[in-house]
Amino acid sequence: MSDIEQIPVTMTVNGKKVQRFVDARTLLIHFLREDLNITGPHIGCETSHCGACTVEMNGMSVKSCTVFAAQANGAELTTIEGLANPDGTLSALQEGFRQMHGLQCGFCTPGMITRAHTLLKENPNPTEDEIRMGISGNLCRCTGYQNIVKAIQYAAAKLNGTDIQEAAE
Amino acid sequence: MTEALPQFQLLAPTTLAEAVAALNETPDVAVSAGGTDLVVQLRRGLCEATTLVDLGNVAALKTIEATETGLSIGAGVTLAEIENNAEISRDYPAVAKAAAVIAGPTHRTVATLGGNLCLDTRCVYYNQSHWWRKSNDFCLKYKGEICHVAPNGNRCRAAFTGDLAPALMVHGAEIEIVGSDCRRRMRLADFYHEDGADHLKLAAGEIVAAVHLPPPGPASDYEKIRVRGSIDFPLAGVAVACSKSADGAVRFTVAITGTNSMPILIEPEEALGGESDREAYFTALGKQVQKAVSPQRTTTIAPHYRRLSAAALTIRIAKALL
Amino acid sequence: MSVKADMSAIGRPVPLIDGIEKVTGKALYTGDLDTRDALTGRILRAPVSHGRILSIDTSRAQALDGVRVVITGQDCDKTYGVIPIAMNEYPMARDRIRYRGEPIAAIAADDAETAARALELIEVEIEELPACYTPAESRKPDAPLLHDDKAGNLEREVHHTFGSVSDGFDEADIVREESFDCAEINHAQMEPHAALADYDPVRNRLTFHSVTQVPFYVHLMLARCLDMDSSRVRVIKPFVGGGFGARTETLNFEIIAALLARAAGGKVMMQLSREESFITHRGRPNTQVKLKVGMTKTGRITAVECETVMSGGAYAGYGLVTILYAGALLHGLYDIPNIKYDGYRVYTNHPPCGAMRGHGTVDVRHSFEALIDRMARDLGLDPFAVRRANLLKAPLFTANGLMVNSYGLDECLDKVEKASGWVERRGNMPKGRGLGMACSHYVSGAAKPVHWTGEPHAVVSMKLDFDGSVTVLTGASDIGQGSTTIVAQAAAEILRIDLGRVRVVTNDSVITPKDNGSYSSRVTFMVGNAAIEAAKAMRAKLIDAAAGLLDVDPSEVECEAETFFVKGSSQSELPFHDVAIAALAKEGTITVKGTFSTPVEAQGGKHRGGAVGSTMGFSYATQVVEVSIEETTGQIDVEKVWVALDCGYAINPLAVEGQIEGSVWMGMGQGLCEETSYLEGLPAHANLIDYRVPTMAESPPIDVQIVESIDPLGPFGAKEAGEGALSGFPPALVNAVADAIGMDVNFLPVTPDRVLEALTKYRRNLRRKEAAT
Repeated sequence: MSDIEQIPVTMTVNGKKVQRFVDARTLLIHFLREDLNITGPHIGCETSHCGACTVEMNGMSVKSCTVFAAQANGAELTTIEGLANPDGTLSALQEGFRQMHGLQCGFCTPGMITRAHTLLKENPNPTEDEIRMGISGNLCRCTGYQNIVKAIQYAAAKLNGTDIQEAAE
Repeated sequence: MTEALPQFQLLAPTTLAEAVAALNETPDVAVSAGGTDLVVQLRRGLCEATTLVDLGNVAALKTIEATETGLSIGAGVTLAEIENNAEISRDYPAVAKAAAVIAGPTHRTVATLGGNLCLDTRCVYYNQSHWWRKSNDFCLKYKGEICHVAPNGNRCRAAFTGDLAPALMVHGAEIEIVGSDCRRRMRLADFYHEDGADHLKLAAGEIVAAVHLPPPGPASDYEKIRVRGSIDFPLAGVAVACSKSADGAVRFTVAITGTNSMPILIEPEEALGGESDREAYFTALGKQVQKAVSPQRTTTIAPHYRRLSAAALTIRIAKALL
Repeated sequence: MSVKADMSAIGRPVPLIDGIEKVTGKALYTGDLDTRDALTGRILRAPVSHGRILSIDTSRAQALDGVRVVITGQDCDKTYGVIPIAMNEYPMARDRIRYRGEPIAAIAADDAETAARALELIEVEIEELPACYTPAESRKPDAPLLHDDKAGNLEREVHHTFGSVSDGFDEADIVREESFDCAEINHAQMEPHAALADYDPVRNRLTFHSVTQVPFYVHLMLARCLDMDSSRVRVIKPFVGGGFGARTETLNFEIIAALLARAAGGKVMMQLSREESFITHRGRPNTQVKLKVGMTKTGRITAVECETVMSGGAYAGYGLVTILYAGALLHGLYDIPNIKYDGYRVYTNHPPCGAMRGHGTVDVRHSFEALIDRMARDLGLDPFAVRRANLLKAPLFTANGLMVNSYGLDECLDKVEKASGWVERRGNMPKGRGLGMACSHYVSGAAKPVHWTGEPHAVVSMKLDFDGSVTVLTGASDIGQGSTTIVAQAAAEILRIDLGRVRVVTNDSVITPKDNGSYSSRVTFMVGNAAIEAAKAMRAKLIDAAAGLLDVDPSEVECEAETFFVKGSSQSELPFHDVAIAALAKEGTITVKGTFSTPVEAQGGKHRGGAVGSTMGFSYATQVVEVSIEETTGQIDVEKVWVALDCGYAINPLAVEGQIEGSVWMGMGQGLCEETSYLEGLPAHANLIDYRVPTMAESPPIDVQIVESIDPLGPFGAKEAGEGALSGFPPALVNAVADAIGMDVNFLPVTPDRVLEALTKYRRNLRRKEAAT
């Protein structure tokens, strides 16, 4: 519908400034996936209950399926694509999820890791219970969650410089 | 894109006055607070507004302020902020507790107090896709002629499932509403109708601005019944406040969500005195809750269960507060 | 020189080799593929449960600007289905509608908005027919028939008797009979369904990406339904976001996407909503089990009689296999001489059921393990003792002809009993808390596939080239279970090379060999064996070349740690790449292949349906579940799970543990809270708030132990690990509930509302009994 005005948006996504015009109705998840070709955040439901689309916006975890792209104007966004170390090696969380087998099919993984990334900023030393409650808005159908907990513990330990427990390899 | 939301314009006022003006000057308008429920409604074709007024930039709605008469919480304060606020946790524990168990943690970072108080009612015949509802000839709440839950009745039975309302109600909260030429306050308990299709006493063009809590006093707690440990809406949610008078008598206030089209406030006449038979008192309290609520077939979980569990939760919380 | 330190690629935890893509967001799933030049596909779905299509008028939709094609059931007169003898479903209904949500037409449009508007413009005239929603309704004498050729709405009935149950019951000291009702459930894989179909009208070729577990089946069905020569079809499987059986069968949306692409002469992206993914279904059917077991005082099971009724939904799908599995897998776990099984798969006006993790066996196993626990209680025996009284002694063939070569159930029992503190803790817990246990098993691949052609079950190709890299080509579908990693490990282990030297190319029908796909836990066993054979063929060539360079007989050459040398000698070591170059000098690029075929004796009994349940080896599992129950609200918390599984040999213990945890947890979902329910055929659960996949908050810690029985036919001794533990959870859960509060429950899931209702009845009965005495 051409009579509806396009909204200019500017935001920083994974450290890169982007400028686009969007429909008011464009959801952030669709903007990321379709306009920016950032396809790590996934769509697992239409009802905001799976968490596969989780991204970090201005330091907070949000489900990008409940945010309009226009509402992210001026925001600082981080997706799974922006989480690796600057040299391209895996971040502590990415390494943790792989080494501790905190993933199987991998579809929920980008949302999981991005949520965990923010959680560890909010709480660098989470207990198992705090991890379980803190990630409870992200569903996984493969792992039974236990190794996701271990993966986050692995990353927390690594980031805090403490011993990493039973890493694989 | 597998789906296309309806086209609308998005207004982002920065002051309350602008927001109210936008609401009053635009036809087919809806308010977006945190958007966690509204966006889902839009995606399911349950909202066809041509203008959304996003309250997210209205700074005046985002404050938590201690006043001489208690505490004021702006409608735009997020659930995460309420959950983590030390004063609220200390003085109005049920409120912080209720906020902490709403949906999942990543909803709570954007969902707001105002949004939760104005949460649309829910029903298994309503919270479905367009195809689903169309195949079922829609329903009384939206576009249809009959309520599939109670086909012989004349009103919508969809259930209110906001968690914060009961917690605030047991603390005697008031709600502040702002319109184009009015600013009014009422007891939060008086803010709701028992009608799933029209459950808020909020006129067109009005916005919930804040909630005012009286000075702290009673101990309180909130618990909800849900099948899973996170995400789920309450099948029954119970807030209880408990005040002890000098003579040792204990007075409870109870409020229940999830069972009716509005949160139900129960203020038992009788106090629990030092001489009372405790078990008998709590059994009677449970009975009173069972009588006060009227869950319907609005969820996949049986109504009778929601009635029984509301009573069980009430007793459990009340005992623990003693 | 001394042989280098062991660098075994197997038997140690190996993080998934494709995990790097998954943790960086680089893994592309079907919905992530480039669709800039693709049309948007959408499906029009039936609004009624049962009806006759009188007319479909697509002209208004067709006329809408931006609509490219509109197709209906009239555009495809070919049936499809996973079982060659039971294909009774059209991609879009042609004249009859049999469930709400069944596809009846489809659109390809320039964008989603146009497609959505066009759907509203298709006019369908339907004569509604009476519908049946339960097997009881469907089996009434005057019930409307869903399929005219299926009297009584019976899709398939099975009557199998092995041994003599009457003799068995005569030998029993106690006989107990109970009925169980297990709700229908869905896979709810995290990735909603999607397919990308690209038709080249000039070459008459179709390139097809989909979320499938079995690209081979999709290939066959596309060729069939589009009436294309299969050589003109190319099927590629990108990363897949979980399957659990949902994507074993070719699904209607896949065929519809291809039909649209051909009609439009281009590319169509079909992404289903979560609701549509639920409606596409193929989940575990509602299953009613009537079970009678005879037992001696010592806990020996003397006879079993089992009647199973499954509410199968509207089409055949996998149904006949499901109902056969349910009976066949009464065998193979314990030593039971006499078993009678009667199974009825019934048509109902619901979305079709199909295969789901633990296909066929879960609800019957649940009933069985719950019932024998109660009989143990009746006899004053420990639940572990009853299981131990009925162990098999491998190798053997079961009464129904299933081959059992390895059997680690005894060790599973010992490990879990110890780890859970069963002996000390059970019976000494506070009221409202309890322990329950159960055993279970599952096949390592069906010994006879449903598309039986006689060709090998698995083929793996392997290439070695000038750069010294080893490329493995396989059609095995990694859907998260880790098959790609297993194949790489097998190659590296046999070739004694570093995993980093191996690349695995998967699932592109023009590049990789045909594979029967990822179902019934076949991949590790079959593809693993084929990979070993291929690698051995390559190793032989390398050893020959090394022998030439070393001027010795090949039998004297050994390789270890990417080095070839003469056995027992420290004279000269040849690096892998040098040997590879020498080998290539003879014949250029080296390509080899390995295959795996199941031995005839593994293919089951000779009776009708005897192939179902047959396998090369069963996994075995035992688990203990600890629960606490809040009696006033009926809420059950699972506190902890201890599980041991005999997977033969853990090629990748990390993935094995992950599979066990995932399957135990999925069993928990079925036991506690998952259920697909319908309101006159409309799904009440078709989203992730009403279909309650457990969250991290209430999911318990899972203590996993691996038992290795070393199967003689398994690759390195391995068997399956991803399904066997699932069916033990629900019975261990209800057994724990019984331990905690004394109440037996015969329904799944044990949602709080059902538990509270059952408790009310239970207490009333207790009071009555007390009053009577």
